[in-house]
Amino acid sequence: MSNRGGQDEPAFPGFDVLDDASRWDAVTQGVVLSRVGPPPPIRFFTPEEERVARPLVDRLVDNDEPRLPLLEAIDQRLVDNEGPGYRNADMPEYREAWRQSCRFVDEDAVERFGVHFWELHEADQRAVLEAVRTAKDWHGLPASEVWTMWIGWACTALYSHPTAWNEIGFPGPAYPRGYAALGLDSKDSWEARERNARDRVPWAERLEAARRRHAPGGEDP
Amino acid sequence: MRGVRARNESAWLLPLGDERTNHRLRDDMRRFDDDDEVDIAIVGCGAGGGVLAQRLARKGWKVVAFDAGPFWDPDRDWVSDERGSHHLYWTDPRVIGGDDPVPLGSNNSGRGVGGSTIHYAGYTPRFHPSDFHTATVDGVGQDWPIAYEELRPYYADIEGELPVAGQPWPWGDPHRYPHSPHPVNGEGLLFIRGCQRLGIDVRVGPVAITNGRFGNRPHCLYRGFCLQGCKVNAKASTLITHIPDALAHGAEVRADSMVSRVVVGSDRRATGVVYWRDGVEHFQRARTVAVAGYSIETPRLLLNSACEEFPDGLCNDEDLVGRYVMVQGAAQTAGRFAEEVRMYKAPPPQVSSEAFYETDPSKDYKRGFSIQCVGPLPITWAEHVAAEGHWGAVLREYMKDYIHWAVLGVLCEFLPLDDNRVTLSDETDRWGLPVARFDYSQCDNDRALMAAGQSKMEDVLGAAGAEETTTIKRYAHLVGGCRMGSTAAEGVVDGNQRAFAVDNLFVADGSVLPTQGSANPALTIMALSARLADHLASR
Ligand SMILES: Cc1cc2nc3c(=O)[nH]c(=O)nc-3n(C[C@H](O)[C@H](O)[C@H](O)COP(=O)(O)OP(=O)(O)OC[C@H]3O[C@@H](n4cnc5c(N)ncnc54)[C@H](O)[C@@H]3O)c2cc1C
Ligand code: SF4
Repeated sequence: MSNRGGQDEPAFPGFDVLDDASRWDAVTQGVVLSRVGPPPPIRFFTPEEERVARPLVDRLVDNDEPRLPLLEAIDQRLVDNEGPGYRNADMPEYREAWRQSCRFVDEDAVERFGVHFWELHEADQRAVLEAVRTAKDWHGLPASEVWTMWIGWACTALYSHPTAWNEIGFPGPAYPRGYAALGLDSKDSWEARERNARDRVPWAERLEAARRRHAPGGEDP
Repeated sequence: MRGVRARNESAWLLPLGDERTNHRLRDDMRRFDDDDEVDIAIVGCGAGGGVLAQRLARKGWKVVAFDAGPFWDPDRDWVSDERGSHHLYWTDPRVIGGDDPVPLGSNNSGRGVGGSTIHYAGYTPRFHPSDFHTATVDGVGQDWPIAYEELRPYYADIEGELPVAGQPWPWGDPHRYPHSPHPVNGEGLLFIRGCQRLGIDVRVGPVAITNGRFGNRPHCLYRGFCLQGCKVNAKASTLITHIPDALAHGAEVRADSMVSRVVVGSDRRATGVVYWRDGVEHFQRARTVAVAGYSIETPRLLLNSACEEFPDGLCNDEDLVGRYVMVQGAAQTAGRFAEEVRMYKAPPPQVSSEAFYETDPSKDYKRGFSIQCVGPLPITWAEHVAAEGHWGAVLREYMKDYIHWAVLGVLCEFLPLDDNRVTLSDETDRWGLPVARFDYSQCDNDRALMAAGQSKMEDVLGAAGAEETTTIKRYAHLVGGCRMGSTAAEGVVDGNQRAFAVDNLFVADGSVLPTQGSANPALTIMALSARLADHLASR
C-alpha cells in the first residue's frame, strides 16, 4: 500500500499493517477491516454542506494521495449520533455545530475571495481555515471550540485508518500477539522498519519542508 | 497469595484458557425481585461500587448493584483499537462551562460494569498522609474527617487484590507492592534517564497489572491498549477483580439499568431506587442505598432526586451537593528523540515520580504534582500535536515521526473551590432526566502548579536528550462533588460516607474526596469502599 506518494518517500517502506490482520481476534478484525471496505454513502451532510465539508476535512489533515474516506467516516459518526459526551455551554449541539460551521466557512470564502470555498485553490482554502484557527469569536461561536471539534474528528477518522498507520509505523491491534522487545531502538520482527533509522535525514529538515508546503500561499502539492 | 484468595476469590473465578468471562457464574447469578427489600442498593458498579458490592456480599448482605451500562464480556465487546472503543465512555449529553471548561467524554467516566476502571490506565498510587490535612498543614483545601492511618490497611488489602506491580515505594507512607515491577518501554527508559541525570527520584510502577499469573489471570502481553479495556484480563478493573467474587457470594449485578431517583420518605429515610430497564420504570426496595455513580452522575442523581422533604435536591440542605468538584491539572509534555521510542508498546502506565508531591516551602504555591508516563496511541497523540496548533501537512509530518516521541504527564493537585460544581441543565436525556452541567475555573495556585509541573517535565525530557519538546494543557481525574466533612456545613457525608441528612444513604465513589492529592484516585476510592463495608457491617 502506498504512503503519501508524490511528496516524499514513505518512512516505512513495504510496511503494511494489514499483513498481520489474520492474526487479530475476530472482533477487532471486524471493526478495523470495515474501514478499508467500501466507504458508506454520505447521509448526514446535505449536498450544500458536503461540498464545503469535504475540502474542509481534506485540508485539515492534508488528506491528499491516497485520499482516504475521512468525510465518510465523520458522516457515519454523525448519523450514528456518536457524540463526544459533552457540549461546551457556548456551542450548539455537535451535529448542529458541524452544519453551521460548513455554512460559515463558505461565507468566509465568499467574503474574502468572492468565490465559494470549494472553488478556491487549496492554499486559499488553507488561508480561510487558518483565520478560523487564530480567531477568538467566529460567527458568534468560540473559534477554538470549533477548531478543536474539526481537527479532533478529522484526526480520529485519519488515524483510525490502517493506511495512516502504515505511514506512521504503528503496528495496529497487536492482539493477541503482544510485544516482546520493549526498549529503545528495539523492535519485534514484525514491527515497521524505518527507512532512515537513527535519523539520517534530520527531523528538523523534514519538518521545515512540511511547513513550506503548508504555509498560506505555499505550494499546492 | 493465599491471604488474598481467602478474602476475594475473583481471580480464581475467571476461566482459564481462551475465554475471559465466566458465563456460568453470570448465568447462575442470584436475582432479586423489585419487591424484595434488599439490604443495599448500590448505584454504579465502578471503582467504588464494585468493591462495596463484593465486600458486603461477603458479609452476607443482600446486594443489588445497578449499572446504567452493559455487563461487559471482554472477548465480545472490546477491541484492540482506539476508535472502536468509544462505547466504553459515558457519552450521554452533559454541558460544560466556566472559565476553564473541562472536556468530558473519552477523558472522563465509563459506563458499564467496572465503570471507569475499564478504561483507566491502571496507575494505583496511594495518597500521602499529608493529603488528609492540607488545611491544617498548608492552609489550603480541607481536612478530611479521617486520617491516612485509617485507610492504610485497606490500601494494602486492595493492592493485594488488584494486584499492584511496582518497585518499593519511597514516598508518602513508604510501602512495598505484591508484584515486582514490569519491564519498561522506551518512553519509561527515557523518563528514568532524564530523572537520573537531574538527580530526581523516580520509580517503576505502581500499576494494577499482573506481572506473572495471578489466579486465572494471565501475564500482561505488553500490547499497549489498556485505555481501551484489557482484553487479556491482565489489567485490574472491578469487573474482574471484585464482581466475580460478589456474584459468587450472592450479589446481583443489574446491568443496563439506569437509576433515575433515590426515593426518600417523609421520615428522611431512603426506601429504594427508581430505575429504567428496557424502557420500563421500576422501583427496587432497599434498606440502605449507596450512590457510586462518579463525581458527575452522583451529584446529578441526588439533585434529580429532589422531593418534598428535599426540594433543592436530596441531601442538599446546605447547598453542598455538586460543589468542590476537582480535576487534576494534567499538562502533557512530549519530547522528540533520535532513538526509536515506539511508545505504543507496553502499558501506558509505567513509571512515576512523586518527588514534587508535597508543598515546597521555597515556592510561592502550595501542594505539588507527580509525573508519570503517558504513552498515547496514534489518535491521542494526534490530539496532542493538534492542540499545539499544528494541522495539515505539518501535523502529518509530526505524526510520521510518531515512533520518535515520548510523552510525560503531570498530575497537579488543583484546589477544591466551591464554584467548581455540578448543577442541572435545562437539557434532558433519553429518559427525560435533566443532564449535568459542570462548571470549572482555575485559581492562581492551580496555574502556578501547572507551570511548575510543565517546566519540570521539559527539564526531564531535555536531560534525557530530547531535541524538541511540546506541551499541551489537559485535565484528568474528576473527584469531589459530595465531599466528606466533619459537620453538615462542611460536607454532604461524614467520615463514614453516610449522608448527614439521610441516615441510611451513603456515597461510595470518588465524589466523597475532600482533596485529591496528586495521585490517581482509583485505589483510594476502592480502599474507602472496603472501609465503608466494614463500617456498614458493624452498624
Ligand atoms: C482516560 C482515563 C485514565 C484514567 N487513568 C487512571 C489511572 O491510571 N489511575 C486511577 O486511579 N484513575 C484513573 N482514572 C480515573 C478513574 O478511572 C476514576 O477516578 C474512578 O474509576 C472513579 O471511580 P468511581 O467509583 O467514582 O466511578 P466509576 O468507576 O466511573 O463508576 C461509576 C459507574 O456508575 C454508573 N452509573 C452512573 N450513574 C448511574 C445511574 N444513574 N444509574 C446506574 N448506574 C450509574 C456508571 O455507568 C459507571 O459504571 C482514569 C480515567 C480516565 C478517563
Ligand atoms: S498492555 Fe497489558 S494490561 Fe494493558 S491492555 Fe495490554 S495486556 Fe492488558
